[in-house]
Amino acid sequence: MNLKIKLALFVMLFAFVSVYAQDSYTLKGTVVSKADNLPFPGVNVIIKETSRGTSTDFDGNFEVKVVKGDVIQISYIGYITQTVIVNNQKEITISLIEDENKLEEVVIVGYGTQRKSHLTGAISKVVNEDLDQIAASRVDDALVGQVSGVNIQATEGEAGSAPTIRIRGTGSISGNSSPLIVVDGLAVDSDFLGSLDMNDVQSFEVLKDAASSAIYGSRGANGVIMITTKQGKEGKTKFNYNTYIGFKEARQSESYTFSVAETARAEMAATGTLSDRTRYKQLIGVDNNWQDIIFDGGIIESHSFSARGGSQRTKFSTAFNYVHDEGVLLTDDYKKYNLKLKIDSELNDRLSFGVNVSPSYTNRRRFDGSTHDILRQPSWLPVYHDDNTIQYVDRDVYPNVQVGDYAVQTHFDNYDLYGDGSSIVDINSTSNTNPAAKVLEKDRNDYKFKIFGSFYGKYKVTDNINFRASLSGDFQNTKQDRWQGVLSNRNGASAAKLETSSLNKIHIATDNYFSYDKVFGKHDVSAVVGFAAEKWNTSSESITGTGYDSDLIQTISAATVISEGTSIEYEQRLMSFFGRVNYAFDDKYLLSFSLRRDGFSVFGPDNKYGNFPAASVGWIVTNEDFMQEVDIVNNLKFRFSYGVTGNPLLDTGNDLIDNYPYLALLNSTTAVIDGAATSGFNPINIANPDLKWERSVEINPGIDFGFFNNVVSGSVDYYKRTSDQLLLYNPISSTTGFSNALVNLGEVENSGLEIEFRTRNISNEKFKWTTTLLASKNKNELVDFADSNGLIQNVDDKRAAEWINLQGQPISSFYGWVVDKDIPLEYIANPYHPIGGEAQDVYVKDLNGDGVIDDDDKTILGNPYPDLVWSFTNDFKIGNVDFSFMFQGSHGAEIRNMGDQYIFNQFNSSQDFIASTPNQEFIKQKIFTDDIVQDASYIALRNVNIGYNFSSDLLAKIGAFSKARIYASGQNLLYFTADDYTGFNPESVDSTSPTTYGYQRAGSPIFRTITLGLNLEF
Amino acid sequence: MKQIKYIALLALGMCVSSCGEDFLDPAPTSAISGVEYYTTEDQLQTAVVNMYDGIQGINVLTDTDSDLNHAIQVEFYLTEMRSDNTRTKSSEGEAAQFENYSLQATNGIVSDYYTSYYNIIFRANTVLENIDVASVETAPKFEGEAKFVRAYANFNLVRLFGDIPLVDHLIGIADIETQFTRVPTADVYELIISDLQRAIETLDNSHINRGSKAAAQALLAKVYLTLGTNYVDAQILCESIMTSGYGLEEDFKDVFYNESNDEVIFSIGYLSDTTYDSQNFSAEWLNAVGRTSGVNYVTTEARAALDAQGGNRTAYSYRQDAVQPSQYQVAKYLPDGDEDLGILPTAGDPRSAGNDWIVIRYADVLLMHVEAVMGANSSTSAQIALDSFEEIRLRAGLLADDDNTITKQELLEERRVEFAFENQRFFDLIRLGAAQEVLSSFSNDNGYGFSATDLLLPIPQKEINLSNGVLTQNPGY
Repeated sequence: MNLKIKLALFVMLFAFVSVYAQDSYTLKGTVVSKADNLPFPGVNVIIKETSRGTSTDFDGNFEVKVVKGDVIQISYIGYITQTVIVNNQKEITISLIEDENKLEEVVIVGYGTQRKSHLTGAISKVVNEDLDQIAASRVDDALVGQVSGVNIQATEGEAGSAPTIRIRGTGSISGNSSPLIVVDGLAVDSDFLGSLDMNDVQSFEVLKDAASSAIYGSRGANGVIMITTKQGKEGKTKFNYNTYIGFKEARQSESYTFSVAETARAEMAATGTLSDRTRYKQLIGVDNNWQDIIFDGGIIESHSFSARGGSQRTKFSTAFNYVHDEGVLLTDDYKKYNLKLKIDSELNDRLSFGVNVSPSYTNRRRFDGSTHDILRQPSWLPVYHDDNTIQYVDRDVYPNVQVGDYAVQTHFDNYDLYGDGSSIVDINSTSNTNPAAKVLEKDRNDYKFKIFGSFYGKYKVTDNINFRASLSGDFQNTKQDRWQGVLSNRNGASAAKLETSSLNKIHIATDNYFSYDKVFGKHDVSAVVGFAAEKWNTSSESITGTGYDSDLIQTISAATVISEGTSIEYEQRLMSFFGRVNYAFDDKYLLSFSLRRDGFSVFGPDNKYGNFPAASVGWIVTNEDFMQEVDIVNNLKFRFSYGVTGNPLLDTGNDLIDNYPYLALLNSTTAVIDGAATSGFNPINIANPDLKWERSVEINPGIDFGFFNNVVSGSVDYYKRTSDQLLLYNPISSTTGFSNALVNLGEVENSGLEIEFRTRNISNEKFKWTTTLLASKNKNELVDFADSNGLIQNVDDKRAAEWINLQGQPISSFYGWVVDKDIPLEYIANPYHPIGGEAQDVYVKDLNGDGVIDDDDKTILGNPYPDLVWSFTNDFKIGNVDFSFMFQGSHGAEIRNMGDQYIFNQFNSSQDFIASTPNQEFIKQKIFTDDIVQDASYIALRNVNIGYNFSSDLLAKIGAFSKARIYASGQNLLYFTADDYTGFNPESVDSTSPTTYGYQRAGSPIFRTITLGLNLEF
Repeated sequence: MKQIKYIALLALGMCVSSCGEDFLDPAPTSAISGVEYYTTEDQLQTAVVNMYDGIQGINVLTDTDSDLNHAIQVEFYLTEMRSDNTRTKSSEGEAAQFENYSLQATNGIVSDYYTSYYNIIFRANTVLENIDVASVETAPKFEGEAKFVRAYANFNLVRLFGDIPLVDHLIGIADIETQFTRVPTADVYELIISDLQRAIETLDNSHINRGSKAAAQALLAKVYLTLGTNYVDAQILCESIMTSGYGLEEDFKDVFYNESNDEVIFSIGYLSDTTYDSQNFSAEWLNAVGRTSGVNYVTTEARAALDAQGGNRTAYSYRQDAVQPSQYQVAKYLPDGDEDLGILPTAGDPRSAGNDWIVIRYADVLLMHVEAVMGANSSTSAQIALDSFEEIRLRAGLLADDDNTITKQELLEERRVEFAFENQRFFDLIRLGAAQEVLSSFSNDNGYGFSATDLLLPIPQKEINLSNGVLTQNPGY
């Protein structure tokens, strides 16, 4: 979009604001509802062709200044708009009639919209009514529990970090299983969910079944989340200011809370005396709960200001948003600035166009450490030395340590406990630096600047045919700096380091399509046919500086050694043709076909193009004549859909192979010959010209229902999605010179049931109460894993707890031995040191009874995928007060909580059993057993919201505002986990690789937030 | 209607700009593509250089992807740490499987090495397969180099794994038979010997970071000594190198800290503070300087041997860990220097160290010469052997052998202190027939679980799995 157009738009914008005067008088009016003749509040009253207008008050009354000849337009969503020509009336009464057609919700389906009643696929719509009152810095965090079949898990938990979103389970093994995100028609990187302003979101449409998402063809296999931002409405410009402030606090784990005093008490009770080590720990006089130190809590605040309005022809929406989330961890912090301008204008009856521009900037400071590493520090260790602790410092080794310095465990070495040399005590368990220093002395930031922009033109070719062309794009610049300061490492300045990298992504897309809509007789036809092309250019660079003497200047220039410089660039292109026909006969029989043909640069010449067809049918039983007598059933629809979708993304760990896998690639290499780097070229892959899309085929029968005048309504969906020709980076024999080759192999099946159940329990003017229950069950099964069937993997070679990828089971399952019993305390070498110490070993079961514990005794110990995810929401409205709460839960998933092993025994062999322990051949490390496989189920009180809307009378007295609301909300005020779960966040997952999923190394905590908010409209 | 023109134009413009013939074939810019790349001698030269890049291995720091080949940078795990010379500092994780002889077939480091060395063979075969594009003058040299590299890789693999799949040409995914057929060691040695003989024919001694005649001769001598069948040729090969202009560095320290000295016959070059040409094994050997908490730490037994027999080599072989004084570190290849020893740091970031790795040095030729002269006997008093032995002893600041007889035991001990932590000890123990006895007693003293089957590494489990049971595992795994 060029500058001229932008300028023109701004000029127009200002033109609408101008007011002109004439002989005017005040017209009084009342609006009532035709159906019940009751006053109708909140109705829009606009003088056409001007910017003047108002809306009715609580009693349905309005006043507006008019001149003779003005045309007053009275409108309300779902009702037929009426116009009145001013002819010197002083008072008018208007009764609004429900519009049977328009009352119905319209759903955005990709390249068009559809009436909800005519839907034949599984699409859920979430309108942003109060999602923006949830204190979350990312929009996806607020979607938890809102849609059945969509599981959003706070796998990371740092401020600004992306949750993991899965629609109907995980379908890909080495590809990507995240849904496609489409914002105002443009498919964007899922990262955009972190820069959008929730206040500016109108609605989310989630395309869940393949028939619905197939219109996005090769990218539809994981479902699609479509986000529509708010648009201006005809009428007086409305200004909104929404703000909240929230107080966040981490949920702590009781199991990870240790104390010197507690341990001493236990030791005294068990042995009747205290060991020298324990006595020494008591002397130091420090008893920290490290959770208090690293989970420092935080404040989240948001300010959003918007102006929306427009004339009959031109509408605009502009918004500014600032969010600052301090997170609950030490150092984590997220700031987001977002600006938005959206203008839609009809130039004449046929031609309209619009622009949508939204720049955003986020700054995320990371918690650059790991919670397990900090929480395994003993309680006796202070963060800084004080006057008391300084006297225990081993001055022979640490002559220079002063009060105020970070305390390190080895500072307390070699303490002469009785002053007579009879007991020299060591209590250190690591020579690492202070855990707080490891976090506080690092500064790791992600800075992201993004611009999202689109421009469209729409032309009405005939009354039934429209042509729409758009050019859109997004640009992302990400800069990451990671400073590791002098004090962050025990090796001091020699380990100080700055890693910096930048990533630029330019994405340009054009969509062009014709649409056709016509109703003739009982036939209702709508069709779309179009063409789209997109390209993505990515380039990134990184470099590392080391050799700093101090923290004073943290730049690459200040480094004495600059190394690890890398850069890479690559490009992807997509070209698509798509079409869809929806047909409804007599509002009873529904039919829909779509086909998309995608050509993708990543695949070889023979497989560039793929076809993604879909078909679905529906039968609205309640529109049949024979159902007209049945009063209790007012909506019953059967649906069935079938669709084929694709997933093109590769993740081999090498960006070049991911983007050009059909080519034999040679990368530059260097070897040192005669002291100088000499360049060579190295073949890096086995080219696969036959590579093609992962294919998902999904069937989805479903029922929509409404009983008792829709007092009870909802839907039930069953689905079965089979994903095959998976893009596997399959292991091959190393003797070929390569370890892996990309192939289309393997099959995964996800099947499940989704229920949405809504009731309007009480509904009258004074009191409204609705309940929503959403539940989804999913079963994941690895049907075919080719050569890798039974593959046993681990996340960490040093702590090699195992996962198995076995056919007939979910993609990844925990694997290992089954615990028989604990080793009795009497056989543990040092039961009370370190603090909180537990044996790292345990007796395991000889499953096959052959008297030997070996690989044959290993078995599947659980899997990380929830069986059932649900939410239960109640909304109440009593006069001006509204109240809602949502419980949300997840059941059936397990997690491998490695945090336990780090925290309870630090992988420390000093906790091993003693030589006289019986049956040692049955003892194994706990990490290889189900001892640390824990139930990750939870039930959370996700949201509670109580709000008060100021009455229009009161507002009228104040005069400044047309609407005002104050509210208080809370997130996760209650959070229940399974008894055997010891950590602080069962949702947290440290490794998100699909084949070793569910690895938690303590992770980051769930937090509760209490928020106060204010919404003003004027 | 005017506006529609613009829209039509817009749509058309988009179409034209995007619907071009090759819209869906963007060329990669950060890599080159093409199966038919090797068409000129210069291009083949890049494949020759690529072989040494393969041996050099990837510095673990540049990428944590476990698929990358770390090659010679992890060799110490499979050799020194399986001998009585070194161990991990804290007996942690899969690294500790080497020292306590509890290796699992799933061990990632073993798999890494196996993969790396077959990748080196792949790179050498790539040169050989395309040798025709080189000129008549250059082709034999490239061929000799490729065969030297291939023999070097096969020699390491066959000594570590026993019978191995023998890949003497480029193979595809479908060639299951080559991939999973374990060829008897004798056949592997046959290829190694013929490859080295060809290398000796075509190469000269103009490089130390590339294959040379002397390097091929030394390697072949060691092959003969390992096979124990051809001591005469081994002796001739050593003597040929001994008249080729190589010599011992006067100061033992300079062998490691004055790189590319006359003693080095073949070394893998590294450049400090570079991304792709640095190494990190030097840092891994130091407490928490590398990614590990310290590996290749010096055993009590190795310290005792060096204290007793090391002479002036001892100070430059191991040192006390400053952070944990009860522990001892290797002092060869130090990346961050040592003031007390007068060693300067070789790199700003010790994890991107530039210390070259010496594969073959002249001292090895001298002691192989002694070994060849001794042959199948348990000692030798031949003057030529005594001379070679004395050269090593004198440089170490020690007296010459006092009884004019070198026993096999003395030779083994001398090799131990001369080549401490240079990945020689494990092979020496086997070659000189002492492995069973020495490692059993070392294992007993330390509570490890050595047994005879631990002398061969397990074939990586991944390969066994892929072969659907065709590939057999070594006994004991």
